[in-house]
Amino acid sequence: MEKEENNGEYIELAELDPDFKSEVMKHEDAKGLNACFACGTCTAGCPIHEIFPEYDPRKLAKMVKLGMREEVLTSPYIWYCTTCHNCEQHCPQNVKFFNILNVLKNMAAKKGYAPNAWVEQTKQIIKTGLVFTTDEALFKKRRSFSLPDLKLDGSKVKKIIKLTGIDKIKAQIKG
Amino acid sequence: MLPDKKKRIGVFFCHCGKNIAGGLNIEALIESSKQIQEVSYVVDNKFSCSEDGQVDIQKAIQEQKLDRIVVVACSPSLHLMTFQRCGEKAGIEPQFVDLIDIRKWTMHGSPQKIAPEKALEKSKKLIELAVKRMRLKRLIPMAEIKTEQSALVIGGGVAGLEAGLDLADKGYKVHIVERLPTIGGKMALLYKVFPTNDCAPCILAPKTAYANIHPNITLLTNSEVKSMGGYIGSFHVKIVQNPRYIEADKCTGCGECVEKCPVKVKDDVFSAGMGQRKAVYIPYDQAIPKKAVIDAQNCLYFRKGVCRLCEKQCPTNAINFGQKPKTVEIKVGAIIVATGFDEYNPTEKSEYGYGRYNNVITQFQLARLLDIDGPTKGQLLRPSDGKEPKRIVMIQCVGSRDVSTNPYCSNICCMYALKHAQIIKEMVLPEAEIYICFIDMRTVGKGFEEYYSRTREIGINFIRARPSEVIQDTETKDLSLKVEDPEIGRLLKLEAGLVVLSCATIPSSGTEQLSKTLGIKLDKDGFFKEMHPKLRPVETNVRGIYICGSDQGPKDIPNAIVQAKAAASCADTELRKNKIKLPQFIVNASKLKKGGR
Repeated sequence: MEKEENNGEYIELAELDPDFKSEVMKHEDAKGLNACFACGTCTAGCPIHEIFPEYDPRKLAKMVKLGMREEVLTSPYIWYCTTCHNCEQHCPQNVKFFNILNVLKNMAAKKGYAPNAWVEQTKQIIKTGLVFTTDEALFKKRRSFSLPDLKLDGSKVKKIIKLTGIDKIKAQIKG
Repeated sequence: MLPDKKKRIGVFFCHCGKNIAGGLNIEALIESSKQIQEVSYVVDNKFSCSEDGQVDIQKAIQEQKLDRIVVVACSPSLHLMTFQRCGEKAGIEPQFVDLIDIRKWTMHGSPQKIAPEKALEKSKKLIELAVKRMRLKRLIPMAEIKTEQSALVIGGGVAGLEAGLDLADKGYKVHIVERLPTIGGKMALLYKVFPTNDCAPCILAPKTAYANIHPNITLLTNSEVKSMGGYIGSFHVKIVQNPRYIEADKCTGCGECVEKCPVKVKDDVFSAGMGQRKAVYIPYDQAIPKKAVIDAQNCLYFRKGVCRLCEKQCPTNAINFGQKPKTVEIKVGAIIVATGFDEYNPTEKSEYGYGRYNNVITQFQLARLLDIDGPTKGQLLRPSDGKEPKRIVMIQCVGSRDVSTNPYCSNICCMYALKHAQIIKEMVLPEAEIYICFIDMRTVGKGFEEYYSRTREIGINFIRARPSEVIQDTETKDLSLKVEDPEIGRLLKLEAGLVVLSCATIPSSGTEQLSKTLGIKLDKDGFFKEMHPKLRPVETNVRGIYICGSDQGPKDIPNAIVQAKAAASCADTELRKNKIKLPQFIVNASKLKKGGR
C-alpha cells in the first residue's frame, strides 16, 4: 500500500512509541497511569490550566498513554506545573499526575529539554543551596523598611545535595 | 475406630481439556495414586463432567466393584453434586464420592495458578489425603428435617414485598420485618421512577396494600431482627418490636395527635432532611400501616415529662407512653434478606461542599423536593433562600468509581439524574438550565437509551467532565464550578443556583450487623455476597437464606424485582419438599479444645 502523505492532519500511530508509556510507568510514582478514565477532574482543578489552556493534565496523560514521546518531552508545558497537588488530591482513580509529571521532567531533563531558567536555577541551588539569590540592594531595601537581616545559610541544603547524590545528576542535565 | 472391611477406592482424573492436562503430568499422578492404600482402580478422562466421562465412571464403578470414588478435577462447589449424582446412579452413596480441585493451580487465568512442579507436588498430597478421608469415612445417615411452611422477609421495600407476596401467594406464611414505622422502603420516596416516569408510590401501592391485607402475611414494622439460630427448614428468629407508644389496633390514623403536637423536628428519613415533621408523626399519606408513631428522642414527655397533648387529643385513647420493646419469636423455613441501600453521605468529599453549602444537595433530597406530596409540595426551592434556581448543575459519580470512597459503579445514578432533569425541565422549572457533568453515561436497560435520547432532546446539557471543586459566593450563596469540556478543549465556568450530587449507593446501615446475626458473608464493598456471581445470584453461604434487591449490590427496580422473584422461587424449591435431608457430622468431643472449638 502506498504511504499516504501526512502533513500533520492526523497522528500516525505507527510513528508513536508504545514503549514510552511503559518506560514512564516503570517508576513507582507513575504506576497508576493506566487507571485514568479521563474524567478531567485534574484539568478542572488546575490553576495553571486556567491561565495556560495549553497545559492540560488530562491531555498530557493521554499523550503519554498513546506514546507521543517527542511531543511530551519537548513540550514546554510540562514545566508549567506549580506543584499544588490539586490534580492528585481530587483524582477519583488515585492517579498521581503530579508524580507522573516529575518522571516526565526527569526524562526530559536527561534529554536536554529542560528550559534554561530551570537549568540555571538548579545549578544555583547545587552551588549555593539557595533558591533565590540575594544581593546588597535587597538587604538595603529591607533595612529601609526596618526589616531584620536575613540569615541565609545554604550549607545544610548543600550537604543534603551531596549526601543524596543530587549533584551527580547535574552532569546528566543538558542545557 | 477404623472400618473393618477392605475398601475398593477408585480415583478418576479429569484433563479438563488443557486446563489441567496442560499444566500437570497426569501420567505421573496416576502412577503415584496407584500406590496409595486401598486404591484399586485409577483412570483418566478428557472431560469427566461430559456424558462420556460420566458413563465411564459409572461403568468403572460396576465393573471394578468400587465402593468409594475420588474425582480429581475442579471445584466441589461447582461439580461435587454432578459426581455425587453420577455415583449414586451406579450405586454409591453420595457421601462416598469426593471431588478435589487441582484445576485452580493449572488453569490459565486462575488467580491461584502455580508452577507445574509445585502443582504436581500439591496434587499428590491432596489426592493422598482425599483417599485417606474416603477410606476412613463411615456412613452417617442424613438427618431428615421437616421444613416449616413459612418464611421471614427482612426489609419491607419493593424487593422484600415482592418476594414476600410471591411466597404468600404460593401458600406459605410470611413475616415481613421492617425497621421503619412503614413498609415501602426507598421506592415510596422517589416521586417518579424511570424509564416511564410513572408515579412511584402509585405503582408501589398495589404491593404495599396487598401485603397489608394478605391473609398469609404478618407485617412487623418498627422491628428488627435480634438473633437467629437453626438451619434451613427450621430457623428460630427473635425479632424486637420497638414501641410506637401508640396502640396500633386502636389508632385510626386520623392525625389529630400530629396536628396538636408542639414539637417540630427535621425529618431526616422521609424528607431526607428537606422538611420537618412533628415528634408524633405518620410517615406519609400512603404509609402502611397508617398509624402514628412517637419519636421518643424528641417528644417533650420523654425528654422533660411534660405536654401529653396528643394523649388528650386522641379520640380512641391509643397513646400509650408505657409501651416497652417487645420480643417476638418465630420459627420459619427460609429467610429472604432485602435490606436495601442508603445514599452515600458526600460530606467527606469536601471539595463539593456538601454540608458546608446549603445549596449543594443530593439526588435523593432533590427527589423529595420534586415530589408533589413531599416537604415543598413539589416546588423546587433552593435551601439557602427559598428561591427558584435558574441554573442547576448535577455532578455524577460522587463517591462512586472513586478509589478513595467506593470503587464500584452505583448503577442507578445516571438514570436518576436523567429522570430528575426531565422532571425539572418538563414539570417544575421549564426555564431552568440544567447541566449534567458525567464521566461515562451508563444507560443499560430496556428503554433506557431512549430515555437518555429524550433527555438530550428536551435540551438538557451534558458535559463529559468532572469538576474539581464547588465554590460558594458568600453573599448570594450561588455556586460556581469549573469543568474542562473535552469537546471544545476549553475550561467552562458554570454558575449555578443549585448543585445536585449524584451520590453512591451503599449498603444500608446495619448490613454488617445483620451479616453477623445471620452468618452470611459480605463482599469487599459491604454488600451481601451471593453464592456465585453468575450462576447462584440470590443464594448465600447459608442454605435457606437468600438475598435480593440492593443489599446484594446497587440495582434499579426492574432488577430488584427479578431478584426478589428469584429468591422467592429458591425458597419455594426447598420449602415445598416438606422434608429435606441434611448431612450430619459427628464431633469427637474428647478432641475439642476449651470453649468448644
